[in-house]
Amino acid sequence: MNFSKSHSRKFITSAGLALVLASCAEDKPLNTFEPAGPKAQTIYDLMTPLVWIIMAIIFVLVVGGTLLIVVKGRVTEDEYNPDELPAQIHGNTKLEWGWTIAPFLLLAALSFPMVQSIWELEGKNAEGELDVMVIGQQWWWEYRYDVDGDGFFRDGNGDGVVDEKDEELPLEISLDRDDVVTATELVIPTDEQVDLTIASRDVIHSFWIPRLNGKRDAVPGRLHTWSVQADEPGKYTGWCTEFCGLSHARMRMSTIALAPEQFEAWLENQANPAEVPTDTSALAGREIFAQNCVSCHVVREAGDAPEGVTAIAYAEDFVAPLDSGAAPDLTHFATRSSFAGGIYGVYVGDLGDPNDDALDAGDYLALSQLAETQDSGYRFNSPELKRWVANASSRKDMDPDSLQGMPSFNQLTEEQLDDVVSYLQSLD
Amino acid sequence: MSEDQTVKGEEMETSEVPVTDTQETATVIEHADLVDDHDDHGDHHSSLGVSNMKLAMWLFLGSECLLFAALISTYLLSKANFITELVAGNPTVVASMQKFKDFAPEKYAEMLEKQSVEPIFDIPFTSASSFILLMSSLTMVLSHKAISNGDYRNTRVWLAATAFLGSIFLAGQVYEFSIFFSEGITFNGSLFGSAFYTLTGFHGIHVTGGVIMLLALLILSLRGKLQRDRAETVELVGLYWHFVDIVWVLIFTIVYLIP
Amino acid sequence: MSENLPAAETTSGSPVSLGAWARPRNPKGILDWLTTVDHKKIGIMYGAAALFFLIIGGAAALLIRLQLAVPADSPEDAIFSGDTYNRIFTMHGTVMIFLVVMPIGAAFANYLIPLMIGARDVAFPRINAFSFWVFLVGGIMLNTSWFLGGSPNGGWFNYAPNTGVTFNPDVGIDYWNIALILTGIGSLTGAINLITTILNMRAPGMTFMRMPVFIWMSLVTQFLLLFAIPVLTVAQVLLMMDRTFDANFFNTTMGGDPLLWQHLFWIFGHPEVYLMILPAFGIVSEVIPAFARKPIFGYPFMVFSGIAIGFMGFGVWAHHMFVSGLGPLSVTAFAVATMFIAVPTGVKVLNWVATMWGGKIILNTAMLFAIGLVTQFTVGGLSGVSHAFASSDTQQTDTYYIVAHFHYVLFGGALFGFMAGFYFWWPKIFGYKLSESIGKANFWLMVIGFNLTFGPMHVLGLQGMPRRMDSYSSVQGFTFWNQVASFGSLILAIGTLLVLHNAFASHRKWVAAGRPNVGADPWDARTLEWMIQSPAPTHNFDTTPTVTGLDELWRRKFNKDEDGNWERVASGDELAQPGNGKGVHLPAPSYWPLALALSMVPIAYGLVYSLWLTIPGAIMLMASMFGWALEPADDLDAPDDHHLEGASA
Repeated sequence: MNFSKSHSRKFITSAGLALVLASCAEDKPLNTFEPAGPKAQTIYDLMTPLVWIIMAIIFVLVVGGTLLIVVKGRVTEDEYNPDELPAQIHGNTKLEWGWTIAPFLLLAALSFPMVQSIWELEGKNAEGELDVMVIGQQWWWEYRYDVDGDGFFRDGNGDGVVDEKDEELPLEISLDRDDVVTATELVIPTDEQVDLTIASRDVIHSFWIPRLNGKRDAVPGRLHTWSVQADEPGKYTGWCTEFCGLSHARMRMSTIALAPEQFEAWLENQANPAEVPTDTSALAGREIFAQNCVSCHVVREAGDAPEGVTAIAYAEDFVAPLDSGAAPDLTHFATRSSFAGGIYGVYVGDLGDPNDDALDAGDYLALSQLAETQDSGYRFNSPELKRWVANASSRKDMDPDSLQGMPSFNQLTEEQLDDVVSYLQSLD
Repeated sequence: MSEDQTVKGEEMETSEVPVTDTQETATVIEHADLVDDHDDHGDHHSSLGVSNMKLAMWLFLGSECLLFAALISTYLLSKANFITELVAGNPTVVASMQKFKDFAPEKYAEMLEKQSVEPIFDIPFTSASSFILLMSSLTMVLSHKAISNGDYRNTRVWLAATAFLGSIFLAGQVYEFSIFFSEGITFNGSLFGSAFYTLTGFHGIHVTGGVIMLLALLILSLRGKLQRDRAETVELVGLYWHFVDIVWVLIFTIVYLIP
Repeated sequence: MSENLPAAETTSGSPVSLGAWARPRNPKGILDWLTTVDHKKIGIMYGAAALFFLIIGGAAALLIRLQLAVPADSPEDAIFSGDTYNRIFTMHGTVMIFLVVMPIGAAFANYLIPLMIGARDVAFPRINAFSFWVFLVGGIMLNTSWFLGGSPNGGWFNYAPNTGVTFNPDVGIDYWNIALILTGIGSLTGAINLITTILNMRAPGMTFMRMPVFIWMSLVTQFLLLFAIPVLTVAQVLLMMDRTFDANFFNTTMGGDPLLWQHLFWIFGHPEVYLMILPAFGIVSEVIPAFARKPIFGYPFMVFSGIAIGFMGFGVWAHHMFVSGLGPLSVTAFAVATMFIAVPTGVKVLNWVATMWGGKIILNTAMLFAIGLVTQFTVGGLSGVSHAFASSDTQQTDTYYIVAHFHYVLFGGALFGFMAGFYFWWPKIFGYKLSESIGKANFWLMVIGFNLTFGPMHVLGLQGMPRRMDSYSSVQGFTFWNQVASFGSLILAIGTLLVLHNAFASHRKWVAAGRPNVGADPWDARTLEWMIQSPAPTHNFDTTPTVTGLDELWRRKFNKDEDGNWERVASGDELAQPGNGKGVHLPAPSYWPLALALSMVPIAYGLVYSLWLTIPGAIMLMASMFGWALEPADDLDAPDDHHLEGASA
């Protein structure tokens, strides 16, 4: 938990509600009162003095005044004389104009910093160095990194230019061969604004990492600009906040902020294609994968497959047979810390829970190596992955019959499941 | 409405309700209202000086304004995305056109210029049918004038004329729909189809309802049950009819004339 | 439109013009309720139906709190599946808004408007009955979806395209759509009827600025309904076209725009918020002066702030869409507009406080609930202002902070106001007072349970818990406050049920005591409805009173002497009309409102399941309209006072 001293001081100076919240803020990974980036900080600084404190004062005055008046003016049944009336005041025009104009002026004054903050936050959206496209679909998030810097995320045919041929492929279809595609975890460098282009493949979702910025909807047919920036390395969790159907509650995500040089290393690794495993079990798992999973999931491999191994190839206009048309890209599955929409850990142990923000960002790059070391404290989460492959709908509400989510593969034997999981573990 | 009347003049006169001093004035005033005002027979009291029915009709039309405002807004908001469907009516091409809009706006604008909705519309034909509908407002006014004067023959003539002109308009709309349909513009084939048929169809249903009301009035008149003291009923149907005409002027301008 | 046909038919002077069937004569028992056109009986039926639906909606709320009382790291740990939970919360919202809060408002409006303006009935009694029956048909239809293929699961806001047929193929959304079109028809016809009544049927001398505040607030409410409902209907028709006839309004691959739904829905939805709260504002504006024994402070400001709320309510809808990507210019405009809508609401709160200031306050249950509204609504109003800060709203929207906000407005505001209204007008409606001791328990349990349930949601929302979540993880830190809320909801449920218990217990006690007459004016109150006997006689007023000012009854009870002191000149019972309206002729009951509403049943189910069913429905509809139009104006053979049997009590 990055709970800095300056923030503590701010909490102490804040009245009422803020105090209550701060006092129990230690284990709140989504707390909006613990900004960890400049945008969230701007919002926090606007709200705390202007809104919470002024509202608290008005609340105390109105409610306290009401109760005081009631207690003072109260007559009991014995005292009550129906023929005796209090002073009959029909109103006081000056007073009434006063309490019409005073709140008006107060709100008018407050609206200046409010409007200023809207434009300040909006204006910064396109200034970052790194562009990432964030695509929501039922019920996970995909991230596309514009590695070649051409400003596009959709170089469909991989020739380095965006031309008409790419454009004819709708968003759902394109398989980008040179930009990085990943899922569930948005990895960003620290101290750098990352611009997001938010899109959706099916229904409306909303992208929200509370400690970094507010939320922005992912609306099908529209592209929305947004941005995040983190001050410190670490994990910042988020949650889809626009109701998106059956498994909306389990559509979570996180942003992992890495030191800039670590981020570069991560990105370089992600841009590599996957390798065909040499381990027997993983190779057997790859065969099962090639027969069952490639109709939805993508694993990008380089060149031709070795002899005796089924090639994994995708048509240029590949579309997964789902309502959304896409399933998570698994090319570097084993580099992620969580899966299934961020609810289960790919690794367990010292990592903590995927819904928690406890993650040593320094270990993030080495998760797969660490998991192979006996006493590192990290283990590959094979049991959960096996349960997931065998019957995903029991681990997360999904409806594969309506093409929403992953079907179950309970026809696979225990051994075959082990093979698939070791193949997934090899994708690092 | 008369059947909803709450106090009848005759009965009040013969009633034996004990009245206290303070209330007597009120009763007398009420009486005067009832005796003098035969047109407002149904309402024991009218604070605004208009009959309940007329007030209700105005309120209903006010609500209808919002209904058509929402439908017209829907059409206008969707309009920016129409062109693509008219190009091909092919969902795949349509989808790709949408992407042009997002990723290559210049290219999209260029394609827009090549294609336009206008050739689809037969402006002279629709202008003529619009003119016919507008003329029916005139005949509607004439029928109201006739019944106010107790001229029942002309009331019937103008009611029939109004219903006839309305029917011509409807026939024109059916013809237009069939032409559009034969050119491949279906209700579910494109956004334009959905928005166009919904907006004009809603209006057509309103005209149909109006024609039915006019015919009902005509039948009543032929049976001798539409007398001069019921002139307000004709006026109410007239209000509705004029409203439907005005809405058509708006729809005609927005859908057909504005490019 | 059929309403103007009988007018043409029954020309004045031709006394007998019988249609196919005569009107029901002297119906008894259940038939009396089914055919009644009496605004008071219709008002009671609205209230009873709303309380029935309140139990359904409340049960759904308790199931929500049950599910969220424990974290669930995987679906196997949860009590309900995600699918079930989504249906429950959708129905909770839809039922509470459309079938509880709106009809309770309609119940008070129906019962009280004619009494408070000194009218015999509403302008169109048969349409009034139709409004109720079509609402009930819609409400029951919506709830049959629990058993017939699954209730709706798109949330009460029903955002497209999640509710499109691609992503949501089952019939629940169709139920939502069509049932709410039906309740919308009821609201719309009711609005036309009640506005006409208020504008045109006031007693002599009751000018606009002499109307009670409740009447003003009802007038604004009905105007909001009149203009907001058609927009919702259009949105629902478009969605129905998409789902049933394969249109493309919300189909993004064909160029449709999902934001169209949001705009249409919230252009309806925001006025909806105000039309739910304004009747409660009207109620407390009657209750507080009665029990502070002072006139309402600043009557013109109360009236004009209500009107201002009505107008501004139509101009702030997009504050529900601050994160939908409207662009900063729209966001700025709507954010600023939203801030200023707090001004008229604040004026109302301060005027209520000023009314109590210096008063002799009688703290009975009705007054407690009215004070409850003033304080709890203030919390909701202030959290509302914090949403107007659009940049901070990007953190708060769609979290439990919003859930807390609108429950403080709708429960702490509207429902507390309605409770005040129940306790205040119960003797006028049923002839006996509700027990004060049960009432006090009722109030305190509700206010404590309410704050325990919804107070913690402020904290949960700011700690990052989103809405519409069937589960949360044990490590997210939401467990403690969720458990507090779930515990509070039990107290709240018990507190709310006490009002029903109170109704029955007090009735038993009253019957045991030999049904003593509670008197025309048991609270020494201010407005016209207390001038007639309790329970209100069928014909309302024996003779229409002439109004000389605001608070007419109070003006007749007190007089200012030369020294400027107020002295009583009469008691309420002395001024009360005796209630023997012999010779008053009332509109006769009718079968056709019910028949017309029932003809909607096959049409509605036909639109869900099979269009063939709509054909018999359409035939029934035409038959009912003909029957309605040709029905004789009145049962002319009946004795003049045949409706007045119960009135001599």
